[in-house]
Amino acid sequence: MHKNLKRYFPVFALPTCAAFAMAFLIPFVMGIYLSFTKFTTVTNAQWVGVQNYITAFTADNNFINALWFTVKFTVVSVISVNVIAFFLAMLLTRPMKGTNLFRSVFFMPNLIGGIVLGYIWNLLINGILSYYGVDITYSAKYGFWGLVVMMNWQLIGYMMVIYIAGIQNIPGDLMEAASIDGAGPVKTLFKITIPMVMPSITICTFLTLTNSFKLFDQNLALTAGAPGRQTQMLALDIYNTFYGKIGWQGVGQAKAVVFFIIVAVIAFLQLYLTGKKEVEQ
Amino acid sequence: MASITLKNIKKTYDAKHTVIENLNLEIKDKEFMILVGPSGCGKSTTLRMIAGLEEISGGELLIGDRVVNDVAPKDRDIAMVFQSYALYPHMSVYKNMAFALKRKHEKQEEIDRKVHAAAKVLELEEYLNRKPRALSGGQRQRVALGRAMVRQPSVFLLDEPLSNLDAKLRAEMRTQLKKLHQDLQTTFVYVTHDQTEAMTMADRIVVMKDGVIQQVDTPQNLYNHPSNQFVAGFIGTPQMNFIDAKLAAESGRYFVCFDAYRIPLPDRMVKARDLADYTGQTVVLGVRPEDFHGEAEYRLKTQRNLIHLPVDQAEMMGAEIYLYGEIGKTPVVAKIPSAEPVAAGDTAALALDMQAAHLFDKRTGDAITD
Repeated sequence: MHKNLKRYFPVFALPTCAAFAMAFLIPFVMGIYLSFTKFTTVTNAQWVGVQNYITAFTADNNFINALWFTVKFTVVSVISVNVIAFFLAMLLTRPMKGTNLFRSVFFMPNLIGGIVLGYIWNLLINGILSYYGVDITYSAKYGFWGLVVMMNWQLIGYMMVIYIAGIQNIPGDLMEAASIDGAGPVKTLFKITIPMVMPSITICTFLTLTNSFKLFDQNLALTAGAPGRQTQMLALDIYNTFYGKIGWQGVGQAKAVVFFIIVAVIAFLQLYLTGKKEVEQ
Repeated sequence: MASITLKNIKKTYDAKHTVIENLNLEIKDKEFMILVGPSGCGKSTTLRMIAGLEEISGGELLIGDRVVNDVAPKDRDIAMVFQSYALYPHMSVYKNMAFALKRKHEKQEEIDRKVHAAAKVLELEEYLNRKPRALSGGQRQRVALGRAMVRQPSVFLLDEPLSNLDAKLRAEMRTQLKKLHQDLQTTFVYVTHDQTEAMTMADRIVVMKDGVIQQVDTPQNLYNHPSNQFVAGFIGTPQMNFIDAKLAAESGRYFVCFDAYRIPLPDRMVKARDLADYTGQTVVLGVRPEDFHGEAEYRLKTQRNLIHLPVDQAEMMGAEIYLYGEIGKTPVVAKIPSAEPVAAGDTAALALDMQAAHLFDKRTGDAITD
């Protein structure tokens, strides 16, 4: 029976493999190829070598600006989302009434799609800023913090749930041993709780890092890059390059490849660094 | 070094749920006191109240002569060993043991000295740089002990510390713990559900049931003079046999009558208490399995105490043999030397050692004779 099944392995695996190849692998390889060409459609492509990459970085400052803006945004978001989510998780794992209600409420923003969320926050923030006679596109600062607030609002609930699971996994007698050993709340937090939830920290940092770096819908809906292109993040810049300028598809494609490499390197680096601190129980 | 006094201690979780009603106990300085009882009897709760991990709902808890009801665990000068060991998995053995000392801001050389001293006693020196997951159960257990030892607390609290070990290691650790207690000269409070641990290690034992102390005494006294049927049944393996019997009196002599037997009570029992109240009533005769004697010379000496046990099952234990059968409808276990030629299906003639037997009140379970 076992042997018979093994013979049919390719038959069972084929549909998934084919789908994966068609939807992911082939476009991915073609995408890399196209980044070295000047093209209008995938069949109408002319090899230009690394010219697209040179153009991406030198023709204007858009890509570098977007990269810098994205990095700043990511650093601030990753720290704020994780710190706030962690402390909410700490609060909601204490024995008190209504924790389930709070957990559900904090999780809810996550259920709203990015574009909708962007427009809602656009309305909210502009509503407040109108008192001062300005709107979110008045200064890049507003756009930046607007994005940070929105990102926090959306992701904190989700990360909180992961942290709650992590905290609840810490054996109670470990905390009791620490309290007998003379560790106060701060020492317990840094010496016991945080090391013990390292797996949650790894996964949450990974999720916030990649989500922040790849942010697109919310960026488009909240500021669309305004004022000028000052609040344009990498993904939006790639989109604008690709669809915004005729004949720049190859450049957009080159930017996308660079973008992929950056995200992949950062994600692997982060997983390696935080993963090293994890312990088996 | 300190004594521990529990005065009218009460523990309730909510209005309806009372775990401990009114507990009074005095644990002497340097004593090895073991709290024993079935699960849910409140022994762990009592220990956790001493540790400060559970709030005390009423009464007073003193360590030394200081009331510590509202003192934080870290300020009670205690150390605790948990059943799960509760080692910090992300720290090395050394750091696990040094953790409490670091919190007290002791000097590094001092910490080093104490950790190495404890590691030497517990034979952990070569494992100091390992993480707990790289240790065996017995080694982890010793790390947990070491973590408590380095603090040189005045009270050691141990919550079923041996129950995660295998039987052989458990026996070894019993000896080690006893020795440790002698070396450290500190008060030990130890919780277990295993009466063998209690009997082998304790200076005194507290037997608990349903949040109530049944008896506090030395292992010897608990075994020989249980104050009630629960204690009698809990201490000793196999368990004491309980046989319902009628107490009869005839010209100043008393007899217990059960099944077809009529066995005279020894003077010791008769003198201990006026049995007149119980005459004609049903009492519970308690006989330990080892107080059945199959040896021929013993049987001849005590002809009047002889019973005949149809053996359903005989368990060979090495030095002894356990005989299982029924007297009337009551299941009975007898433990006799394995040299006696008895097998399942035989009827064994056994003499009861009435000097070692006990009588209990059928209704209250209290001991009638000591």
